[in-house]
Amino acid sequence: MSTDALRLRPPHHRVDRRAVLWWTTRSLATTIALTAVPLVPALIWEPVRFWFLVATGVIGGVGLLITVVMPQWRYRVHRWEVTDTAVYTSSGWVWQEWRVAPMSRIQTVDTARGPLQRAFGLSSVTVTTASAAGPIEISGLDHVLATEVADQLTDSTEAVPGDAT
Amino acid sequence: MTPHEDRRPEGPHADEPAIAGRHTETSPAEEHRIASSAPEAAHTDGPTPEPPAGGSEHTDPGPEDDPAGDWLGLSPLSVWANTTVVALCLVPTAIVATVVLFIADLTLWAGLSLPASLAFIGLTTYLDLLRLRAVRYRVTVERMEMRSGIIAKAYRSIPRERVRSVDVAAPIYIRVFGLCTVTVGTGEKVGTGGDQLKLEFVTADQGERLRRELLRRTPTTSASGPTDSAEETDAGPAEDEGTELARLNPRWFAYAPATTATFGIGLGVIAALVGLNAQSGGYGWRWISEQAGLPSGQQMADFVLSRVLLVVPLALFGLLLSGVVILVAAAVETWWDYRLTREPDGTVRLRRGLLTSVSLSVEGRRLNGVVLHEPFVLRSVGGAAVQAVATGLEGDDDKKTSAKSRLSPAMPRARARALGAALMARESSALDVPLEGHPRAALRRRFTRAGVVTLTGLTAAGGLAWLHGVATGSWWEVVGTIEENIIPVPLFSGSVEAAPGWGWFLPAAILGVVAFWYAVGSYRGLGHGLHPDYLVLRKGMAARDTVTLERSAVIGWRITRSPFQRRLGLADVSATTAAGTGMYTAVDVGLGQGLAWADAAVPALLAPFLEGSEDHAEAEEQSTPPAP
Repeated sequence: MSTDALRLRPPHHRVDRRAVLWWTTRSLATTIALTAVPLVPALIWEPVRFWFLVATGVIGGVGLLITVVMPQWRYRVHRWEVTDTAVYTSSGWVWQEWRVAPMSRIQTVDTARGPLQRAFGLSSVTVTTASAAGPIEISGLDHVLATEVADQLTDSTEAVPGDAT
Repeated sequence: MTPHEDRRPEGPHADEPAIAGRHTETSPAEEHRIASSAPEAAHTDGPTPEPPAGGSEHTDPGPEDDPAGDWLGLSPLSVWANTTVVALCLVPTAIVATVVLFIADLTLWAGLSLPASLAFIGLTTYLDLLRLRAVRYRVTVERMEMRSGIIAKAYRSIPRERVRSVDVAAPIYIRVFGLCTVTVGTGEKVGTGGDQLKLEFVTADQGERLRRELLRRTPTTSASGPTDSAEETDAGPAEDEGTELARLNPRWFAYAPATTATFGIGLGVIAALVGLNAQSGGYGWRWISEQAGLPSGQQMADFVLSRVLLVVPLALFGLLLSGVVILVAAAVETWWDYRLTREPDGTVRLRRGLLTSVSLSVEGRRLNGVVLHEPFVLRSVGGAAVQAVATGLEGDDDKKTSAKSRLSPAMPRARARALGAALMARESSALDVPLEGHPRAALRRRFTRAGVVTLTGLTAAGGLAWLHGVATGSWWEVVGTIEENIIPVPLFSGSVEAAPGWGWFLPAAILGVVAFWYAVGSYRGLGHGLHPDYLVLRKGMAARDTVTLERSAVIGWRITRSPFQRRLGLADVSATTAAGTGMYTAVDVGLGQGLAWADAAVPALLAPFLEGSEDHAEAEEQSTPPAP
């Protein structure tokens, strides 16, 4: 059974190293925000302080663990590749996802950068097809590189006729 | 902002700016026209669409003199249809209110209610008149356009080649006026109004004409040709054109009650009543029983418990019977006069409905596959239903999409398979393709889940049994009081108190058995296969769906793996598509097996990204070096 050995090879390119910082910052911010929820009543409400402090500890601990583990893990998984015929990405950490879309079925190509991504000089490329399954997103690319990739994708897709459905 | 937004890789793109320009140019003129010609708007579009009448209205220059199509309005009758419905609801209510208030000696209010409702009817009629005047639509050689909005003007335009489905619906209250609603599905977002254009209401003739014209791909005849349309509407009753794929067999209604909801409907009604009673703190039932002189709840409970062998089967039978009646009635309403035809141009047309008659047309090219839908109860009595996998039938979520995609009522499975084959119109039916099963590891995953469910059930049972053991008489009193406030006839707390503590493990054991049985059924349901033109997927236990999807309609792949799947060598392999729910998944397929299948289904798409087989070297060659 040769097919049993069939696997997906990882896409060629890793995302930018700075994405690790971006993910860390993002996770840290989320952790702080979530920790504050039980912490505030713990500070102002004497009788139940203990239990709220426990909740704070648990949420904070799990959050910090994720903040330490997740970015490195993501950096190992997140990869992307653009060939003449298709876009190929992998993403996720605990749950992982691989996406392939042929060039001929791409409808729109966007780049987007949130304030946090901008702070690290990063950018995301979003590739939309006609499917309701959601767009393919390559996040954490260097800003200049993202623009180049988007330009290249736009050029390639314009060369292919059809209404992409 | 991004410089790459919305670049479409398609040819007609070039004329988009021109259209947009035309739109902004004509908008003010158009508003002016609507304002000035308002008085005559009511008679512009009678049931007989005459070109001079339509033409004379659009005297100002601009796109209106495009010979391809005149701006048409909705039927003036639609205002009367709406007014009648509102009046039919409001006036009787108002009369009743008048009488009641009069009896209650609130003469002032009694005198007010009728005029107030009349004023309200007048207001809605006036607003509806404004709406009627504002809405204009036309079908040109290339596109369908629609203007609407009383205060905020809206203009929407869709290329005709993007029209995927046309839905003509006529609920009974507008059908008596000879009207219908036309919904045009485009499979893409049009402005802010979602992916549909909706005309409420046009005459039945116009609806029929739009249905015929919009899906016709040869742009030789335009929609506005009046003589043409007259001919067509005359020819309308000749429904035998095209091939008939299916026609209602009244015996199929016997399958209608074969759902898990049959008991549920009766139970739902009872639960709603109980909920209502609980809301009133038990007062509602006490009032009724005092008025009717019923014996007390306790007496009734004793009566029921003393004849439990008689009462329980009777109650179940009653529930079943009411469920059957309601479901058959619903099926008759939905599927009466059901016909499914393929018209000469390939369009598949569905007609059905007793009170609301529906006519749905789907362009043949956009029908990318079918779903053989077999919910558990229907499956066990040998029935199935057919749904479409088509673009332009999207709902807000998957459930609405599949509701809109129904192409048949529940029917015998063999008939459903034959209908599916006829819809796909290939030499061999994709539904007959032998399906490959999924690895045993998929079964193990399902057993794990069933084990978790069983453990949870047992834990809960243990907890309850412990409570049962330590519960004292005062506990049971409290529980009994609560129950009495919720359910008028307290049956449960007494019997539970009398039952032994280990009794709690009985439902837990049943739950465990069902969970494992479900796991096996769910595993057996899994399957995937390939037809020369279609890929075939099957899954589901509660509702088993066999999906066929045209291989040419696959627009990408998505492979996901959870940690458990990675450990077991499994993956979810999904084909993404523009049709239907947008993604169809082979669940818990072996990774190599699933990838090989996906690779075979759409050659050359996945191949460059695979490794580990003899294709490897070849695949490496194909993959081009990275661009940046």
